[in-house]
Amino acid sequence: MWSFIVRRILIMIPMMFFVSIICFVVTELQPGDFLSQYLENPRISPEQIESLRRELALDKPAYQRYFMWIKNIVTKGDFGYSFSYQRPVVELIWERLGWTVAISILTIGFQWLFATLMGIYSALHPYTPIDYTLTVLGFVGLSIPEFFLALVLVYLVLRVGGTAVGGLFSPQFIGAPMSWAKFVDLLKHLWLPIVVVGVSGLAGLMRIMRSNMLDVLGSPFVTALRARGLDEKTVRKHVIKNALNPLVSIAGMELPNVFSGTIIASIVLNLPTIGPFFYNALLNHDQYLVMAFLLFIALITQIGNLLADIALALLDPRIRIS
Amino acid sequence: MKRLFFVILAVLACVVFATEYAVEDELLTPDPSPKIGGTLRLALASTPESYLLYGTLDSSSYSVIMGPMFSTMVEMHPVTNEIRPALAKSWTVSTDGKEVTFKLREAYWSDGTPITADDVVFTFQYFVMNKYARGNSIDRFTIPDEQGVNRMIEWVKLDDKTVKAILPSPYGAFFTVLSHVYIYPKHKLEPLIDKNDLGSVNRVWLSNTDPKEIVVNGPFKPVQLITDQKLVLERNPYFWKVDRFGNKLPYFDRVEYLIIRDAEMRTAKFMAGEIDFMAIASRDYPMLKEQELTGKTPYVVYATQPNQPTPSPIHISFNFDVDDPDLRSLFIKLEFREAMEYALNRQRIIDEVFAGLAIPDAGLILPSNKAFYNPKVEQLLRPYDLKKANELLDKLGLTKRDKEGYRLFPNGKRVEFNLLVQNSPKEYQDVALIFAEDLKKLGIKVNLQILDSSLVGQMFGAGNFQAGIRAFGNQPDLQLRKAIWQPGTQLYYWHYSTMDKTKTPPQPVLENMLDWEKRIWELFEKAQIEMDPAKRKAYYDEVQELYHIYLPVIFVCKGMNIWGFNKTLGNAGLTDDSMLRFTVWTSYRK
Repeated sequence: MWSFIVRRILIMIPMMFFVSIICFVVTELQPGDFLSQYLENPRISPEQIESLRRELALDKPAYQRYFMWIKNIVTKGDFGYSFSYQRPVVELIWERLGWTVAISILTIGFQWLFATLMGIYSALHPYTPIDYTLTVLGFVGLSIPEFFLALVLVYLVLRVGGTAVGGLFSPQFIGAPMSWAKFVDLLKHLWLPIVVVGVSGLAGLMRIMRSNMLDVLGSPFVTALRARGLDEKTVRKHVIKNALNPLVSIAGMELPNVFSGTIIASIVLNLPTIGPFFYNALLNHDQYLVMAFLLFIALITQIGNLLADIALALLDPRIRIS
Repeated sequence: MKRLFFVILAVLACVVFATEYAVEDELLTPDPSPKIGGTLRLALASTPESYLLYGTLDSSSYSVIMGPMFSTMVEMHPVTNEIRPALAKSWTVSTDGKEVTFKLREAYWSDGTPITADDVVFTFQYFVMNKYARGNSIDRFTIPDEQGVNRMIEWVKLDDKTVKAILPSPYGAFFTVLSHVYIYPKHKLEPLIDKNDLGSVNRVWLSNTDPKEIVVNGPFKPVQLITDQKLVLERNPYFWKVDRFGNKLPYFDRVEYLIIRDAEMRTAKFMAGEIDFMAIASRDYPMLKEQELTGKTPYVVYATQPNQPTPSPIHISFNFDVDDPDLRSLFIKLEFREAMEYALNRQRIIDEVFAGLAIPDAGLILPSNKAFYNPKVEQLLRPYDLKKANELLDKLGLTKRDKEGYRLFPNGKRVEFNLLVQNSPKEYQDVALIFAEDLKKLGIKVNLQILDSSLVGQMFGAGNFQAGIRAFGNQPDLQLRKAIWQPGTQLYYWHYSTMDKTKTPPQPVLENMLDWEKRIWELFEKAQIEMDPAKRKAYYDEVQELYHIYLPVIFVCKGMNIWGFNKTLGNAGLTDDSMLRFTVWTSYRK
């Protein structure tokens, strides 16, 4: 087991290196650079743009910039400066990480809880009206784009006279010390992003859970359990435990979603997460910020996969790591 | 302890009494009984990157620094654009127009330190005229002397409250450009700057600075910044303006900027009454107005005469230096460009693309600009008339047509060109579509080339286009747009052969200019060194006329400014001339 983990971690290093090259090439292929947004600004003279270009090293060829960047990461742990904020990118990302993680974990929790419950219920009552209703609801959620659902919900809330739209708090609570009133205000705002982001993933997970359950229900060991006279509650317990296996392996993939899955919803709903910030950096060609964030996501994905494998091994004794 | 308290109080009282207050005029404070206190709630598109105007190019930083936080030596009246005293209470101009001596007001920074000539000289030396500062203004304060050599304006401290500007030659736009220079505190910033590395000014007072460290001379000082959520400003007790009844300004105790990236969400928050004042996109105007008319909304919206640089007026350009020899000789002919203006259906564009919220007669200068607008351009605009356009094209010898009905050059090639347009804002594409439709009726084929905006910017910048649609903002003084509209400059992109790019800085090439371009070039040079406003207006009047007679570019229209106000705001709304009345220091909550 340990040698497996160590080997997997060692493989991550060249992987990250390749990922960084691919990301760099892709961002480099984008037309223009950080300074192109200022070309049309008559306040900024062409000479000034040239001197900025030198200052930001944008006049150097791409491969040189790449190696400079990698060198600083490896030797100093320095992921570079943001062109626009002129501050270390790690610091900027760190500032925005708290709410990102909190909101995403809540929405993912919501999603998984409801998806598994709905899946289990559907599988235990297949082809009943409720099964069909749940499926239709799930698919409707899946097919409506997040931003659209967000806008519709915002519109409906405003329509019925509510004001708790966008952001996490009413203005008077932003920055105020935590209190009961502030917590209630948070709840009033939080349901929107959770529903918007959560609903979109419900159908997929629910269908996986449902089919897993049906598979397991039809397998010989269930028949054997029943034949031995176990009561239906115990049988169900075993079925659910077995059906959860494939879901656990997907769970590893959820980890990067924690950071990047809510970008569009966050923009529309004005959540202070990393998503809109990253999106803006992309538009502005704030290259090192974009790169550092992409690397971070890649690393998280790999760690997520590793954790999923470990969890699977622990959950299912049949899986052996060799 | 008690004694110390009284000493502090006494010092504070002295400072307050010593301040030479400026009195805000009736235009901005029409209401004789304003209420003092409360919070003004505004919107901001992103977290400001810096509190130092000169170290950043970020527009969110600009909007919180300009107005709410910092003051200038002289300022432009928010409604009339007239120059009036600010931190400088008075000034004298020498008879040769080359020396301006400013007397500074007895006023204080928000930490109680007096504002002195040192602050002014420091601001110019390290920020305004520092070529390593990102947001410097060197160009605006560098003018040719009598020999035609570019030299910087010098600033000299005479005593603590007197500062003198020495100009290489008279400079007509001097006070206008000065009204954009925000003065910063030397005593707080000097220790933060590394004098051996002048680029270090870009790294002070960034978004990770404790807001309480920021010392201001404007109406409000920052107290709290919550990343991507909110910026809170508080009244600066030392602000140097009072209203005409003697009340200290500002009226509000606090300003809160809600940081909202998405435009739809900003509108939603405004509709929900969480934002007191903001600019509204023209596409939202019909919906908001309709709701307002039901009488149940917490807000009102107004469309005002445009008086701001943005939204930029759209223009159509034809590349005089285009590679294709047929097109080149065609584009340079005045009759062709006249035909193009006759083919431009401005009214349809205003109605369909701008929902009626635009004006057709805005070119280099806006009609609301009483100081410089030349109303003669309204007669010079060629109205939509396809028959006239057809006649002009026939006169150019483009009479033969192919099977599909397109005109042919004498050598048998079809008359067609690419029209380069950026993909956002969407208005640009819509204008291009309508224009192309009309040209098709004239027998000219237009291929729309719609590309990502940064790419389009590069292509224009390299002169790599045939015809294009673009937009540049207006400014109160044409001098500030010299870099665009004077031939031989970096942004005179439709005729780059008037500029020698191999020299640094690039030089104008007079022999490559057409006669009328040479005249425009001269007029800009003359207006620059003229201090007499009447003579400057005459020069700029001629520039405006030349632009509309010879059509270097064809101006399409300018979107109106649309503003939303919460109904509870006082001293906010429209003036009798339909101009915007709103400032952070004179509005209050009814």
